[in-house]
Amino acid sequence: MRARLAIPCALLLSLAGSAQIGAQQKSANKPPANAKALTISKFENRVKTYVEQRDKLEDTLKDRPKQTDPASADRHQRALEKLVQASRSSAKRGDIFTPDMQQLVRQLLRPIFAGKDGRQIRDEIHDNEYKGNAPLAVNARYPDEVPLSTVPPQVLQSLPKLPGELEYRFIGTNLILFDPHAHIIVDYMERAYR
Amino acid sequence: MRNRLLARSIVVCAALAASCSTAPRFTERPAAVQVAAPSQRGQSPQGQMPLPNRDDSLKFAVIGDNGNGSHDQYDLAAQMAAWHQRFPFTLVVMVGDNLYGSERPQDFQNKFELPYKALLDEGVKFYASLGNHDSREQRYYKPFNMDGKLYYSFKAPKQDVRFFALESTYMDDEQLKWIEDELKKSNEKWKICFFHHPLYSSARTHGSELKLRAVLEPLFLKYDVSLVLNGHDHVYERIKPQNGIQYFVTGSGGQLREGDLRKGSPLTAKGDDTSQVFMMMEINGDDLWFAAVDKSGTVIDSGSMTRRKE
Repeated sequence: MRARLAIPCALLLSLAGSAQIGAQQKSANKPPANAKALTISKFENRVKTYVEQRDKLEDTLKDRPKQTDPASADRHQRALEKLVQASRSSAKRGDIFTPDMQQLVRQLLRPIFAGKDGRQIRDEIHDNEYKGNAPLAVNARYPDEVPLSTVPPQVLQSLPKLPGELEYRFIGTNLILFDPHAHIIVDYMERAYR
Repeated sequence: MRNRLLARSIVVCAALAASCSTAPRFTERPAAVQVAAPSQRGQSPQGQMPLPNRDDSLKFAVIGDNGNGSHDQYDLAAQMAAWHQRFPFTLVVMVGDNLYGSERPQDFQNKFELPYKALLDEGVKFYASLGNHDSREQRYYKPFNMDGKLYYSFKAPKQDVRFFALESTYMDDEQLKWIEDELKKSNEKWKICFFHHPLYSSARTHGSELKLRAVLEPLFLKYDVSLVLNGHDHVYERIKPQNGIQYFVTGSGGQLREGDLRKGSPLTAKGDDTSQVFMMMEINGDDLWFAAVDKSGTVIDSGSMTRRKE
């Protein structure tokens, strides 16, 4: 199993490294015409890299049929969860929601929450019947006891589009980057809105 | 056991019929959808259900917020099975929160397969949509017939009907585009959408999802959706037709929030927050009949409507 993991992990590290270097070179050569666009573009690249890595890892697992029994679906998900966790064992908060991206997210969400519909939007997000304090950790399994928050369409439309079935979710005012395939918190940021 | 339950429901229905013979008729008569007065509430000549029960009709049931594994869920499921003997619905639409709490393989058994065993054994097909308590992995669970998709549509086995299942916790542009394309290309007479969050609800706990309504309702109007089925609020509520569309909240398939409905809400045509409820529906041509049945087997609401037409 370890040997099986080692190949995808090495592949991931090299992929992540080259993507980062590529992005750095690109940004070093060409100063940003628009800082906001650049921040989004870099965020999208980081997300894309994650999805590519996740998909490669998933390819090493046996195909999951579109319709199956709960035990098989659960086995597949947990196997993928473990692979992704192992491959990102050094992942930390802010790797994807970097400080500049966090700032931008707050900027993007501010008019939505401060606008005339802000209260409704806040109510819909808080509407998931969960009042506890779930422990959040990057690369950890999304807490099973926490229902998924509704993310109003207006919020989704204001944030950069996510590929590969990654999702934005909220727990309180924390914005989670959630991978439903592996059921893990890819990254999260605090105080996404007030 | 079944016979005893049926006998009890027949007695209650007959009693209700007598008490409701002077039930007021609705004053609201939208152009496209007309909901008949619930004159058949509990009414059942010779103790039969208040639906035509024609051979060539599409018959289906609706449940929501059901999967908590409680005695209440099992009791309501037993009523569904009992009614199925007389009203053989071929499919069940699930409006989300199909499993509460943990979702280990044994939970699928205890919160779905066992309570609905009688129906599953009879070959009744369940079509699920996902609620906020549901793991995304449920889409792969074969008995939910989602074919690995978070949102999907399917043509009913009878009559000219298409169902559209949406994932309302995450209505992104991709899904919005999908539903618009699906509705646009659908040429079925009946377009029925089902998903978890209600666009209209008089319940205190959640209530109407206004932001979702802002993006979905224009599409429903544009493409002649006639009926929308939701849950999330743990009550039964028949909404007065809104812009010609009939909405139901059926979120008490296992869960229940007693006293949660706002009394005197201008949205409510009929509501119940005292018992678990499921719905039975029948479509034949341009007509749809519905009946809401509570945990004791009593028909607490019924009526009919016609589909919206271009």
